[in-house]
Order: sequence, then structure tokens, then C-alpha cells
Amino acid sequence: MSLRPVKIDGRRLRSERTKQLIIEAYLALAQELSPRVPTAAEIAERAGYSVRSIFERFPDIRALQVAVVDYSFAQISALAPPRGGGADGDRKTRIEAHVLTRGQTCDRWLRLWRSLIVNQGDSPELRERIRLSRDRVTARMELMFAPELAMMQPEERRQVLIALEALTDVESRARMREFFGLSVDEACLVWTQGIDRLLPKNSGEAP
Amino acid sequence: MTERPEAMAFASAKPATVDGRRLRSVRTRQLIIAAYLALLRENPQIPTAASIAERAGYSVRSVFERFPDLHALRVAATDDSLLKASLQVVARTAVGSRQDRLKAHVETRGRVCEEWLPLWRALNANHGDSADLQARIRLIREMVIRRLEEMYELELSTLEERERRHTVLAIEALIDFESWARLRGPFELSFEDACAVWLRAIDRILPPTPPVS
Repeated sequence: MSLRPVKIDGRRLRSERTKQLIIEAYLALAQELSPRVPTAAEIAERAGYSVRSIFERFPDIRALQVAVVDYSFAQISALAPPRGGGADGDRKTRIEAHVLTRGQTCDRWLRLWRSLIVNQGDSPELRERIRLSRDRVTARMELMFAPELAMMQPEERRQVLIALEALTDVESRARMREFFGLSVDEACLVWTQGIDRLLPKNSGEAP
Repeated sequence: MTERPEAMAFASAKPATVDGRRLRSVRTRQLIIAAYLALLRENPQIPTAASIAERAGYSVRSVFERFPDLHALRVAATDDSLLKASLQVVARTAVGSRQDRLKAHVETRGRVCEEWLPLWRALNANHGDSADLQARIRLIREMVIRRLEEMYELELSTLEERERRHTVLAIEALIDFESWARLRGPFELSFEDACAVWLRAIDRILPPTPPVS
């Protein structure tokens, strides 16, 4: 047999682990300092490495930010239930499932999202990720509300999707919770009611 | 015979002397605020004192003679903009058919967002711990809520309190500054098309208009 035991490159593994810990340190600091971007010294101290270690793995803070956003997006994608996770139920079930998942995502990533928005500057990488994130939200709604959206003409469908995206924006959730003082359940109800009214009703389905 | 107060006031009034120095100072102040706002519209970064002075055509010293620091200038610029935006809003009355009110509301809100988005972004990004700026953000949000409660009073009056609040908050989310920015930016909609998105969405969110007796 030609199979040989796979050699594990311990140095490479350690380097990947260090990279991961730096990303996690950045994320933890972003939660505390948002919208301010943490400094290299703060990240190094939190991760337990030297500043040099950071710049050995990331050419600059912008590259680290991009890596952090990619890592976060992967986690957000994992949070959303796969196809079938609520997407095949009746209208009420689908709206409630979507609102619950979207609300959890917003609560979890609000501070990183704010930091990303405020500090995107002229970075094409960060702007592309913001666009991608919004596209994913829209794609998710197209999946969840496919039966209702199929009832509309293309232009009307586009308008409704834009309105749904605005309604369920990260900052919309934050305002309801922080500014208007709504509980998690009340904030979910605002979205549930809003989505229900924005989507056309199928005469055969209960409201 | 008793003299009427306004007549007394008229009798005692002396020709008003225009304090030219004071007028010039007020004008300089306005030009500094205008320069600050113009720079914000060009670049979201907070303008420096030197760039504001250069744009306004004054010295940096002139800026700091009228504003103790840049924070005070930010507050003054916010108040100035708030006043102008309020005048834009109240110019459109809250009467007419449902479609008339929807049109008036979204067009006015769209214009306000179009004009004041850069200042709004700067305000949110840089309010830090400033109680002054935070109070103004709160005031602006409350004004938006009051305005839509006023515009759709008829429809909202048909709802019980909780549902009414949910409806108002859903519309508030929809017509946020950043929602407008996305309509005009990433979605590349014209002013009219962006208004059409808001109008249709609010129309769907609102309950039917009750018959007016």
C-alpha cells in the first residue's frame, strides 16, 4: 500500500493557531471598543503575543480586519439554518424563523458591523464584504419568502425585497433595542408584523 | 383713555440701529458652519480647523473666536441643519388623501435624507461621549417618529396601542437615513424610484384608511 502516515507540520499548525487567536482577540476588542478599531498593541496584548507576531501574519491592520470579517461571516452563515430549516413551513413559521435568526445575527454582530461601516474608508475589500453581507441577507429572504415573492412582478418583487432589507437592517434592530427600549420579543414582533404586511397574501393561506 | 401696549411700544421705539460688527460676526459664523457642512459632504472624515478656515475664507483664529472648539462647531452645525431640515418638513402639510400624504411624506423625507445624510453620518460616528450630540440624535429620531404619527394619524388611529407602536417603528426603520443611502447608492435608484419604494412599502405597512365622517 502506498499510503503513508500524514506528517503534521507542527510549526504551521502553531502559526495558524496564533493567527486564529489574533483574530479572536481583535473580535473581542471590537466588541468592547466599537466603532474604534483596536490598535496593534491592544490586539497583541489581548492575544498574548508581540506586535511583531501580528505583522508576521498580517501585512497591516486592514488585512487583519478583512480576515476578522471573513471569519465572522463564516460564523454568521453557520448561524442561519440550512435550506429546510424553517424555509419549507407555512407563512407564519417562515416569517418567525427568519425574524428569530436575523435578530440573533444582528444582536451578535452589531458592534463589529458598526466598526466595519465606520472604518471601511476606501478599502475595496471591506466595501465588497459589506455588499456581500447585504446580498446574503436578501438571498436569505428570497429563499424564506419564495412563495410570496413568486406572486409578484419582478419590479414589485425588487421593491419589496429592498424594503424588507431596510426593515431588518442591523441598525433597525439596534434602535429598537437600545433607543426605543424594546425587549427581544417585542423587537421580533415589530419585524414579524412588518414583514407580514410587506409580503402579499396568498388567498389560500392563513394570515 | 388707556393707551394700548403696542401703541406705547411704538411711541417709545427708536430707530433700530444696526450693529454692523455684530452682523458681520453672525455672517462669519454662518459661513464657518457652511464650510464645515460643505467639507462633510465632500468627505466623511471630520474636517480639520485649518480646512474649515480655508474653505470659509477666514483664519483658524477666526474659527476659534466664534467656537471654543471643534465640538462646539459640530453642535452649532447640527442645530443649524436641524432648523433647516425642520423647515423643509413643516412646509408640507399633513392633510389630503392617503396617497397625497404618502407622497408628501416620502418626498420630504427623501429630500431631508439626501441633503443631511453626510452630517447625520458624522454625527453618529463622532458623538462619542458628547451629551450635546447624543441629545440631538435623540431629538432627530423623535422628530421623525412625531412626523409620521402626524402624517398617518388617521390610519394609526384604527390600531390598538401596541400594534400602533409596532407599525410606527417598522416605518421608522424603513425610512432611516441609511435606508435612503442604500436606495440611492448600492441600488442606484433615482430620487423618484427611491421614493416609490418607500411609498409602496409604507402603504403596505399601514392599515386601511378609515372612512372620514
